[in-house]
Amino acid sequence: MISCRDFITELGNLLDEDVASEIREQLEAHLAHCNTCQVLYDSTRKTLRIVTESGSFEYPEPIAEPLVSKVMDRIRSGCEVED
Amino acid sequence: MLRWFENPSWRIAVGFLPEVDETLSAESLTTLKRNFGLAPRIYRALMIRPDLVDAQVRFLDQLLFTKGALTRVQKEFILLAVSAENNNSYFPALHCQTLQFLGVKPEQSQQVAIDHREANLSEPDVALLDFARKLASTPHSFTDLDVDSLRKADFNDEQILEAVLMVGLTQFLNCIQMGLGTEPDFKPRITFSVKEVNPPIVSERQIVEPELPGEFVSDDPDFEIVARVRKGETDAFEELVRKHGRRVYRSLLGIVGSPQDAEDALQDAFFKAFQHLPHFEGRSKFSTWLVRIAINTGLQRVRSRKEFDRIDEDDEEFRPRNIQAWTETPEDFYSREELRRLVETEVMKLPVKYRVALILRDLEEVSTEEAAAALGLSIPGLKARVLRGRLMLRESMVPYFSKAVAGKS
Repeated sequence: MISCRDFITELGNLLDEDVASEIREQLEAHLAHCNTCQVLYDSTRKTLRIVTESGSFEYPEPIAEPLVSKVMDRIRSGCEVED
Repeated sequence: MLRWFENPSWRIAVGFLPEVDETLSAESLTTLKRNFGLAPRIYRALMIRPDLVDAQVRFLDQLLFTKGALTRVQKEFILLAVSAENNNSYFPALHCQTLQFLGVKPEQSQQVAIDHREANLSEPDVALLDFARKLASTPHSFTDLDVDSLRKADFNDEQILEAVLMVGLTQFLNCIQMGLGTEPDFKPRITFSVKEVNPPIVSERQIVEPELPGEFVSDDPDFEIVARVRKGETDAFEELVRKHGRRVYRSLLGIVGSPQDAEDALQDAFFKAFQHLPHFEGRSKFSTWLVRIAINTGLQRVRSRKEFDRIDEDDEEFRPRNIQAWTETPEDFYSREELRRLVETEVMKLPVKYRVALILRDLEEVSTEEAAAALGLSIPGLKARVLRGRLMLRESMVPYFSKAVAGKS
C-alpha cells in the first residue's frame, strides 16, 4: 500500500493524466481510504481548473500592435548590436 | 518523441536479453520515479527477475537516495566519477540529470566526470573522489593509507563506509549495464565519449540550445519564416513577433510582475532573439528557444531587483496544510474578473522558480518536455517545480474556496 508521501509525489503526474495504469490503481486505492489525500487531490484539481480558465496575465490587446511596431523599429534601426 | 515516458510500457527491448511481460512493484516504481522522473531502463532490463529489481531499488533508496553520513550530492559525485573512470556513459548521462535536479549545474557535473580536481570542489570532496577513483580503478593497490587520507580530510568512519559502498554500488550498476547492453533512456544533453572521459586537454562545454527529440524539430511550424529571416528578410520577423508575442508577454508578466516591465522585457527578448538567430541551429523548436530567451531576459530583470530567490537552491520537502474540503464548483462564487485578479495576485506571490514553471505548464499549457527545455531543467526537476507551485497556489486559495467559506458568502 502506498503512503501519503508517495501519493503526493505522484500527484503531479495524476493531475496531468500521465500515470501508468498499475500506478493509477494504487493511487485510486489510496484515495478510497485517505480523506486527506482526497481533499488535496480534489482542491488541487479545482485550483488548476480555475488557473487555466482564469485568463490571467493576458496580452493586453490594445497595446499589441504598438508593441509589435516598437520591436520591429528597434530591429530595423538596431545595428547597435549589444550582447 | 519520448514514448517511454508518455506511455511506460515494460514490453520494450531494453538490451541484449529478450523483453518479458512482468511488472515492477508499485513501491519500486514510485521510488524510481520520485528520484529519476522515470523508471530507468537499467532496472527494466532486469525484469526477468523482478524480485531482484525490488531488492536493488531498496538498497539504492537506503544508500543513495536517503540522507546518510555523506550528502546526496557527494554520493552522486562518487557515482559519476567512478562511472567515468569505467568509461561508462550510461550513468553519467542519467546522473547529470539527477544532479541538475539537485541544483548542480551540468557544467560542474561534466567536469567531475572528466577531472574532478578541476571541478571547483572543496578539498575534502576532491580527497573523497580521489579515494573513490583509486578504489575503482586499482583496487589491488588499495591500503589503509588510503582510508587514512579520508580521515585526514575529516571524514568519519560512517562516511568512509558509505564511500566504499557507493564505489561498490557503482561498479555493480556499471557492470549490469554493460553486461546487458542497456541503451540510454534518452538522448543525453551531455554525453561522455570514451575520448572525452580521459581527454588530452580539457574540452570546452558547448550546450546552449535545449535539445528536443527529432520529431519536434522537423515539425517546427516556424521553420520557413525563420529561414527567411536568416536569409536577410528582416520584415518576416514581424510575423514571429505577432505570433509569439502573446506567449512571450504572458511568461514575462508572470516573472517580472508589472505590465510596463513585461513590455520592456518583451522588446529586449525579441531583439536578442533576432540578434542571435544566426546561431539558432534548429535543434529545438523556434518557440521553445524564444521562450527560453524571454525567460532569461525576465529573470535578469528580477535578479537586478534583488528579489530573486536562488533558482538552484535545494528544494526542501513541501507539506501541504489547510486540508479543508472545497465546494463542487468554487468558481461560481466569484465573477470572472474577480477570479482573474485573485489568480494573478496569488501566482505573483509564488517564488519565481515555481511561478515560471507553473505559468508555462498551466497557463501557457506548454508540454512538460518543452517547458523543461525552455527552463534548462531535467524533466523530474521541472515536474517537481510545477507540482510545488500548484500545491502552494492551492493552499493560498483555500480561504476563498473551502466549503466553510463558500457557505457563508
